[in-house]
Amino acid sequence: MYRIRFHGRGGQGMKTASRVLGTAFFQQGFQVQDAPRYGAERRGAPIFAYVRASRTAINERGVIRHPDLVAIADDSLVSSPAAGVLQGLGPGTTMLINSHDTPEVWRHRLNLDATILIVPVGEEVTDRADLPFAGMVCAAAAARLVGVIGREALAAAIREELGAHGNALADRNIETALHTYDLMQDHAGAVTEGTEISAENYASPQWIDLPLENAGRAAPSIHAAATSTLLKTGLWRTMRPEIDYTHCNRCWWVCSTFCPDSAIRVNEAGLPEIDYDHCKGCLICVAKCPPHAIEAIPEHLAQAREEKAHAAKTPDR
Amino acid sequence: MAKTPIRRMKDLPSSHLFGSGTPMCAGCGGLESLHQIYEILGPRTVFVNAAGCMTLLAIYPFTPFRGSWLYTAMASAPAGAQGIRDALDILLEQQRMEPAEDLNVVVLTGDGSANGMGLSATSAAMERNLDFLYICYDNEGYGNTGQQFSAATPHGARTATSTGPHGFSGNKKDLFSIWAAHKPAYVATAIGAEPVDLARKIEAAKQLKGPRLIITLAPCPPGWDFDPRDAADIGKLAVKTGIWPLKEYVDGKVVHSKIPHPRLPVEEYLQTQGRFSHLFHPRRDEGLLAEIQDSVDRYWNGITE
Repeated sequence: MYRIRFHGRGGQGMKTASRVLGTAFFQQGFQVQDAPRYGAERRGAPIFAYVRASRTAINERGVIRHPDLVAIADDSLVSSPAAGVLQGLGPGTTMLINSHDTPEVWRHRLNLDATILIVPVGEEVTDRADLPFAGMVCAAAAARLVGVIGREALAAAIREELGAHGNALADRNIETALHTYDLMQDHAGAVTEGTEISAENYASPQWIDLPLENAGRAAPSIHAAATSTLLKTGLWRTMRPEIDYTHCNRCWWVCSTFCPDSAIRVNEAGLPEIDYDHCKGCLICVAKCPPHAIEAIPEHLAQAREEKAHAAKTPDR
Repeated sequence: MAKTPIRRMKDLPSSHLFGSGTPMCAGCGGLESLHQIYEILGPRTVFVNAAGCMTLLAIYPFTPFRGSWLYTAMASAPAGAQGIRDALDILLEQQRMEPAEDLNVVVLTGDGSANGMGLSATSAAMERNLDFLYICYDNEGYGNTGQQFSAATPHGARTATSTGPHGFSGNKKDLFSIWAAHKPAYVATAIGAEPVDLARKIEAAKQLKGPRLIITLAPCPPGWDFDPRDAADIGKLAVKTGIWPLKEYVDGKVVHSKIPHPRLPVEEYLQTQGRFSHLFHPRRDEGLLAEIQDSVDRYWNGITE
């Protein structure tokens, strides 16, 4: 049985990716399960979807704990524990990631005994954070990696899943997908079926017994205000707005009011400051800034620059 | 009530009483108006939230508010507000609470609840002259479940359940007029993209007693299909093209707080959103475009105040 997990952010098309791959497997005569899993959050928040495909009946249920392939549309998710990207990765797993970094960097960074591949993209893509059709690219790469899905089955699956949105959209997706499929030629069949899991080897979870508390103590009443600020929605961001203070007019009431997330405050000097812990990267401030003093830059570049600056400040040990 | 009346953007408070870190989408037009509204209302408010996108605002133990939040079923937020108002009134009457400790009771629902399931409960609350504020964030569809059409979906828009070549065949319900027909203390339309107008309306509502109801148009990046960065610009266009009139009902009279002049062609608004793309591609749907423009023109025809 193939067990494949797709990780991305809401809006990147990973739910559709799992549907396309599942339908393509089905076209090839497999029995298939595919299901998305997301919480209450919205576009930009981490989500995942998974596909099981087998030539015989599938009796497994629930989330895939030990995947044969993990496809990641957005490398900034790896460092977010809530995304659970690395869950259950072992020596037999292939990790396919959309990243500017090399497989060696990722192997070193994660100290992971897994096969690591980078999502192939054409030279015209300069910034992977803005990769168009990211989900479809991951679905097509996954289809080639398992080696049992033909070009025609992949195209037919995309047509079936996206046909309702019109032929033009389906055609663009098919073109992108087949291009990726061809780029993955050298890795065709690199992902093999995982072993069957048998009930005989079932190990019960290691439950921890918690004694019941007095109900009055066990149900805390919380009176703290604005506790939502403990949630770092800045992790959702793929593009980062940056204020160029040499051009800032100090009309902070504009950006600070239009920001839906209360993420632009005003400092004592009367200058706006962006709270990167919570800015979701909607970029309304970039659109509304009267002197155009706010610029959008890819988050991964901003982070790389910060790391460099930090390293320069830290003396050699 | 703020000490200085709000006349321009510079007068707007920037205290950010409303907490960041909510799970609303990046670029949410509903959140854009809510955080502005909360700045004016202040922390002495209790929110009664019907099921909808904003269900997720205050998931225990996290909340963006500085006061209480009550979650109700889709049809019953005004009934929840009645219960809270009654409890507060009893505490005041029995002098178990100082008048200074009194709270604003605010209902918060989406357009699905306001125009549909919750409309009869709202009507009944107005009939009882309940002292409350109703905020409806109108993203013109059931956004929380994937933008199926609601009674507030505009004519011609594509939704998850209006996928035909001409989009939604119905017409947006005139909730402002339905509410105003009850003769409550105050009704208004507003939008987060016009912060001064919104702030003045919240200030006006705050000073009145009885039922006060405000609809804010909430540009919705996933539901309307546009880039989140355009949310505020699209909101401005809704006002400038006249498709979203800004108005108030007070003392039995409807007054427009902004009459767009010159009024831009409505297609400048429509073409910013994927939900109307079938009006322009693969070819222009002249009939439907003219129909939408005509309905806007007919609205404004003869309006002078």
